[in-house]
Amino acid sequence: MSWDAIVVGAGHNGLVAAARLGQAGRRVLLLEALEGPGGLLGAPAAGQGAGSGGTGPGVRIAAQPTWLNPIVTMGLGLDRYGLGPGVAQPTRAWGPDGPVTLTAGSALGVAPETAAAYAALHARLRRLAGPLARFMGRTPPPLNGAGAGDLLALALDGLALRRLGRADMRELLRILLSNVWDLLEDSLGDGPLAGALAFDATLGGAMGPRSPGTVLPLLYRLAGAPRGADPEILIGALLKAVAATGGVLRCGAPVARILVGDNDRAEGVQLESGEEFRAPLVLSNLHPRRTLTGLLGVAHLDAEDVRRARLMATRGMAARIDLRLATLPEALPAGTRLVVAPRLGAVEAAFDGAKYGGLPERPVLEAVLVPGAVPRLAVTATFVPHAPAGSWTGKSRGTLETRVVAALDEALPGLRSEVTGIETMTPDDIEARYGLPGGHWHHGEFRTDQMLMLRPFARVARYRLPVAGLYLCGAGSHPGGDITGLPGWNAAGQALKDEGKRR
Amino acid sequence: MSYDAIVVGAGHNGLTTACFLARAGLKVLVVERNDHVGGAAVSRELTPGWTYSNCSYVCSLLRPEIIRALELPKYGLQVIPYESGATFDSRGGYFSYSSDHDALRRELMRLDPRDADGYDRFSRAVMKQCRFIKPLLLRTAPDPTSLKPRDLSELLFILRRFNDLGAADMAETLRFWTMSIAEFLDEYLRSDIVKAHIAGSGIIGTGLGPYSPGTAYVLLHHYMGEVDGAIGAWGFARGGMGAITQAMAASLVASGGEIRTGAGLDRFLVKDGRVTGVALANGDEFHARTVVSGMDVRRTFLDHAEARDLPEDFLKGVRRFRFRGSSGKLNIALDAMPRFTAAPEGAGFLRGDLHFLDDMAEIERAYDDWKAGRWSARPYLDFLIPTQIDPTMAPPGKHYATVFVQYAPYAPEGGWNDARREDFARTVIDRVEEHAPGFADLIVHKEVRTPADIEREVGLSEGNIFQGELTFDQLLFNRPVPGWAQYRSPIRGLYMCASSTHPGGGVMGAPGANAAREILRDLGRRIDMGAAA
Repeated sequence: MSWDAIVVGAGHNGLVAAARLGQAGRRVLLLEALEGPGGLLGAPAAGQGAGSGGTGPGVRIAAQPTWLNPIVTMGLGLDRYGLGPGVAQPTRAWGPDGPVTLTAGSALGVAPETAAAYAALHARLRRLAGPLARFMGRTPPPLNGAGAGDLLALALDGLALRRLGRADMRELLRILLSNVWDLLEDSLGDGPLAGALAFDATLGGAMGPRSPGTVLPLLYRLAGAPRGADPEILIGALLKAVAATGGVLRCGAPVARILVGDNDRAEGVQLESGEEFRAPLVLSNLHPRRTLTGLLGVAHLDAEDVRRARLMATRGMAARIDLRLATLPEALPAGTRLVVAPRLGAVEAAFDGAKYGGLPERPVLEAVLVPGAVPRLAVTATFVPHAPAGSWTGKSRGTLETRVVAALDEALPGLRSEVTGIETMTPDDIEARYGLPGGHWHHGEFRTDQMLMLRPFARVARYRLPVAGLYLCGAGSHPGGDITGLPGWNAAGQALKDEGKRR
Repeated sequence: MSYDAIVVGAGHNGLTTACFLARAGLKVLVVERNDHVGGAAVSRELTPGWTYSNCSYVCSLLRPEIIRALELPKYGLQVIPYESGATFDSRGGYFSYSSDHDALRRELMRLDPRDADGYDRFSRAVMKQCRFIKPLLLRTAPDPTSLKPRDLSELLFILRRFNDLGAADMAETLRFWTMSIAEFLDEYLRSDIVKAHIAGSGIIGTGLGPYSPGTAYVLLHHYMGEVDGAIGAWGFARGGMGAITQAMAASLVASGGEIRTGAGLDRFLVKDGRVTGVALANGDEFHARTVVSGMDVRRTFLDHAEARDLPEDFLKGVRRFRFRGSSGKLNIALDAMPRFTAAPEGAGFLRGDLHFLDDMAEIERAYDDWKAGRWSARPYLDFLIPTQIDPTMAPPGKHYATVFVQYAPYAPEGGWNDARREDFARTVIDRVEEHAPGFADLIVHKEVRTPADIEREVGLSEGNIFQGELTFDQLLFNRPVPGWAQYRSPIRGLYMCASSTHPGGGVMGAPGANAAREILRDLGRRIDMGAAA
């Protein structure tokens, strides 16, 4: 059977790409290796997380996703499929002298001047993120040889930058490549408020807040205006959008390789089972390294591309830990995110442990209650190395869990005695189940040298791969990780545009 | 008394500016707080018979255009390249660097055959970046928010150069400017000791570790120099680093300039937003319509200018500018040449920079100590014995060792005192002793310099050897304050000419030359840099 397009990987970006192609009238086949769709957002397999909890219901990696970017929700008309506008999720930043509560732009529980400083910082960063936001919903410009369209877009970007005014423009150019530590220390001083923002800026990556380049991820997140979302509703809406355009999803269908014709054109895919599907257009939502060196194979690449794919910085440092609880902790209201990162130094210290491959003495983490029959606390702990001292053992897992519970117990006193089971997904586990090199949930470090026209690396940053008709559509591409749907949206748009040109 | 221009601080940049102004026909006075000229480029006899380069200690970055234009060789400057170096590991092994490509290749083959090719590729990549950045050093950084023709055309100059690189090298350049030195080296090399040897250049003088993004650029800052046209080469100024500033002072006097030492500044004289001269600590006043500060930006504006003469956002920028001194130094008079256990007797590579390291993680751990406010328990050392090449610096048969120490905090817990300074020195000497048993017994005299000492003597805030960190938020048009990166200040007639300005620290002279160009431009004159301009 033949198709107009095949999308490999039914994570949220794959679903978005499939829906956009379907919207344009393409007959799309979506292939997923796992038993269900959604990727990191998807329902976990029972007992998937190893740990002292034995066989629990499994750990959903993206338990508290941010909402898709409005470009995607509006572009696909997802409100028709039951996707609401998302909810603003307050953050409770724990500190030894009491918590600070953050909602978009306002802070409670701090001195009035700190609250004012935070409001000012938030407003300023949102303003500075504006020109960056312009880059998110489109293919990044080429490094050189820009066409007329690119030049026009760049000119408009330049104009947007100028419209910031001189003072803001200077501020943006100063902090753009700077470290988040200095920014926060300058504007807010140290404490749980700064700690929580440093946590957000470094979440998932392998850089501490003192590392230059950590302001950029923060700006990027602010550019997307993130709101909280329910993963089930999100996946459900995307599935409906795909189905509504005639797209077909097949799960349990791991792709072994991409079929390439004699004329160096993608012709379809072959499953591990040997089954083949044909299509002139193939989009891969897998990690760029797997797509290039695995599915496509080095025979179709030049040496520099292979080198770049292999050298991509993709050390995931986030572990997901689910705690089953006997009773709900009173101190944490449902829908509120708890962040335990009481000082800037706490975040940096956790990174210091992990950068040599050790476990952090005191993990910094976020936690949110997951509603259900058995109360669960979904915890994301950074900085947890891919594999401490070579590989995970029962002992190192136990150490991690003990330290995470200890950190939580400080913020939610008495929690320790309420824990009835623990399930843990280490970066290594995440790699094994989801095929993400390094277990990196952004499919590659969110770092200046791997962003914009350098994501995942320059020669493939415009979604197109060296084989015609083959595209990257996952978080390894611009604009990157988190649950935005933009890589999938942009990649599908680029593929359609290229197809139009050929006709 | 009245002059055309007064330069405050007789460091290499202050002198460079003064020389160019004097050569353009201005009546120039240089005032210097210390009793000697030189700032951080000095030769000092602190114990009879030995000359110490007691701050900066090696030479490479000083722009050849400046050496030529100021005729420094004529006034006694001679730079001798040392062409080698080595890193010793804790297991008795070593890597020896040589500027002789064949020798280096053989050495790399011995350690890891793949590194012989890897090093060549690394070298080419760095050279490309050097070639890209070099023409930018002696130019004023354009203000990207300005629509003035000059800023636009400078911006275009940079963009065009960037575009000329071609797509592949453009990507490499963007990556290079934001990467960590560790990751950059990992892309090319495999041997831990070779990477550790090179990585030092990415962190010297900097409050970052080799794993921190942005340190590849710092490496470039140490590689973009040259000695007699050999790019990336380092050498000793014969007679110590003071030879550079002595030659500059002589060049200045020959052009009719005047230097007063022991003449510390009290404050800039300002009237109606315009500088009119300087008042010295001893009460003397000198007048000029142009005053140039060779001090760092913090001292210039927070210590010697009045807040009421400066706009609030400028002051905010000055206060925010980061110094964070991270380097210490030991200057040691030695009774004899130390013996390094691992090195063959008389090994040529001992003439260059020596380090004691196993891998890059060791440097990173040294950085962690500094981050926590301590000096590194196992510091990164840049250890040289210049007297092997330049015997003028010690009595016959004796030697002088300069030991640069990374990392040392400006303000350890409880502050620096004599006991802590001695502990710090012991940490460093013990580290050398591990590889050269008996080293401590050879010490005739030593000078121990913490960042606080460097601040006190040389005046560098927090002891930062670059007059401010070399991170992107403090480079180019951001250095020292966004909007004030073109050597001028909010006080009319008051200029900055030292390492707090573009292109930053190191004994380069480029900030001084650039400042002179801007000053002369404002006076309707042109700088005479010969063919180099």
